[in-house]
Amino acid sequence: MHLLEVENLTKRFGGLTAVGNLSFYVDAGEIFGIIGPNGAGKTTLFNLITGYLKPDSGKIRLNGEDITGLPPHKIANKGLARTFQIVRPFRHLPTIANIIVALNSPRGKKKIEWIKTAERKAMEMLEDVGLSEMMLEPAENLSHGDLKRLEIARAMALEPDIVLLDEPFGGLSPIETEYMVKSIQRMHLDGYTIVIVEHKLQALMRLIKKVMVIHYGEKIAEGTPEEIAENQKVIEVYLGKAI
Amino acid sequence: MVVKYLRKAYTNFATYIYDIPPRMLALLLIMIFALLPMTRALDSSTLMMLRDASVMAILAASWDLLVGRTGQMSLGHALFIGIGGYSSALLFMHFGWPVWMVIPVSMLAGAVVALLIGLPCLRVKGSYLALLTLAFPLLLERAVYYFRDVTKAEEGIPPPPRLPAFFQGLIRLDARIAEYYLTLSLMVISAIILYKIANSKRGMVFVSILDDELASKACGINVTNYKLLAFVISGLFASLSGCVAVYISSFANPSFFGIRWSVLPLVVTIFGGIGTIYGPIVGTYIYYFLDMYVFRKIINISEWHYFGLTWEYATFLIFILIVIIFILKWPRGIARAVVEKLEDLEEARPIEELEQKMAKAD
Repeated sequence: MHLLEVENLTKRFGGLTAVGNLSFYVDAGEIFGIIGPNGAGKTTLFNLITGYLKPDSGKIRLNGEDITGLPPHKIANKGLARTFQIVRPFRHLPTIANIIVALNSPRGKKKIEWIKTAERKAMEMLEDVGLSEMMLEPAENLSHGDLKRLEIARAMALEPDIVLLDEPFGGLSPIETEYMVKSIQRMHLDGYTIVIVEHKLQALMRLIKKVMVIHYGEKIAEGTPEEIAENQKVIEVYLGKAI
Repeated sequence: MVVKYLRKAYTNFATYIYDIPPRMLALLLIMIFALLPMTRALDSSTLMMLRDASVMAILAASWDLLVGRTGQMSLGHALFIGIGGYSSALLFMHFGWPVWMVIPVSMLAGAVVALLIGLPCLRVKGSYLALLTLAFPLLLERAVYYFRDVTKAEEGIPPPPRLPAFFQGLIRLDARIAEYYLTLSLMVISAIILYKIANSKRGMVFVSILDDELASKACGINVTNYKLLAFVISGLFASLSGCVAVYISSFANPSFFGIRWSVLPLVVTIFGGIGTIYGPIVGTYIYYFLDMYVFRKIINISEWHYFGLTWEYATFLIFILIVIIFILKWPRGIARAVVEKLEDLEEARPIEELEQKMAKAD
């Protein structure tokens, strides 16, 4: 049994097939990459898996349990957390309260002994991503890089079985990217299963063992980074056909 | 033993109130309000004004929890004034229930109504939600006229025995002063409860819905349930306000559903500071104060009949103009501006002390 299994997933917007007949699986403890050019349907795929969009057909299974078509908050409570491509912090709340919101969910509560430890737990999460100094600042005062890390800390507060990161390196400076790579590596060492959608291939390729390439909503290749880099079809998709 | 207890009480006071300037200010204000009637400086009309302000402050604070904290726009809080008012008046008229039973039951009625209208209302968002909530008090106002054998329509339901009679017997007080103390204490208790709810760990979820609903869902929060919860809590306290209003105004009449009670919380909340809970309370008192001592002096009440406006609406319009001028300078509300100033002072204090120490060392 795989941790996350996607089977023949299809989503159409009018005449456009955003995701077509896509199947893949992720095993526990893996870092799985999903790449593809702009408009390939990567974010749509994420939204389908996390329940923000309902698929037209196909099945999604988490730990062998069918989660197709469940509302987002139920999926999150079953142990599938996500971050957003464009950061979505709770701007009016202090940084630490952003984490406490996630600890308010049924899953967050089950994992900790509420009242007493919620704040301590939230502080630990912030320390992990290096935001403990900004603890009491309203989230609107944080820089873009800090917000990216806050997003990840918030997803991790649910102690999920699997985390879906939507472009974690988007808009980051080289130093911040390096920091983010280290954070993700540490999450991996802690035993979390991670799925990453990304454009910055250089940073991504150092992290992952297995990668899937999608183009116009269809899977065109899957394999190790080395195999993908030599795949003729992938090169065509990214760079265009040789004349 | 007693000394130990007192010392502990003092330490608690020093840590949780004395060292936090905004809380100290709130405590001082409450004490001033509590002592005011004893100085005999207030005439009966001022006492009535403060009494009405206290009742409407509960309404405004409950509105702020729903709109300012959770971001669910409501333009129909008059609904709860009406529900609270009519349910308590009807319960008394038909069953003769005593005050202490009527108030909790009317509050519950308000909460149930909030739940019932929350279920369909929360399917829509933003301005659509505002328009939908706007409709409910208007509907019920019509219903009051329609079922005139039960509600007696514009005639109103005759006065239940005055609420303070309940207290007056205990501590021989003038009726006006008793009403004043009663409404003031209800307001302080409701305000503290609402403030505690808004700033609890669970209350942070409300703000997260205001900020970003999609992200709250990603955090595993059942957004619909929390919105309903905010609706119910708000309805509970708003109907308390309506319930007390009927006891002090002594007639439950269709004007309880009037649009004025829907707009008043909005205006005073923006004036005082939206999303603060204390802001709308401060705003309400300022509005009632200005209304009595300024607007009514300017406008000759008996002669005001231009544009078919009653003087009540006219003074309200002047207040709205003043609010518009104020939010140009303090867009986040005047009460919030004051509190933020105080907090800045508090943050600045340790540095000054440090500087003094360094100066001494030199």
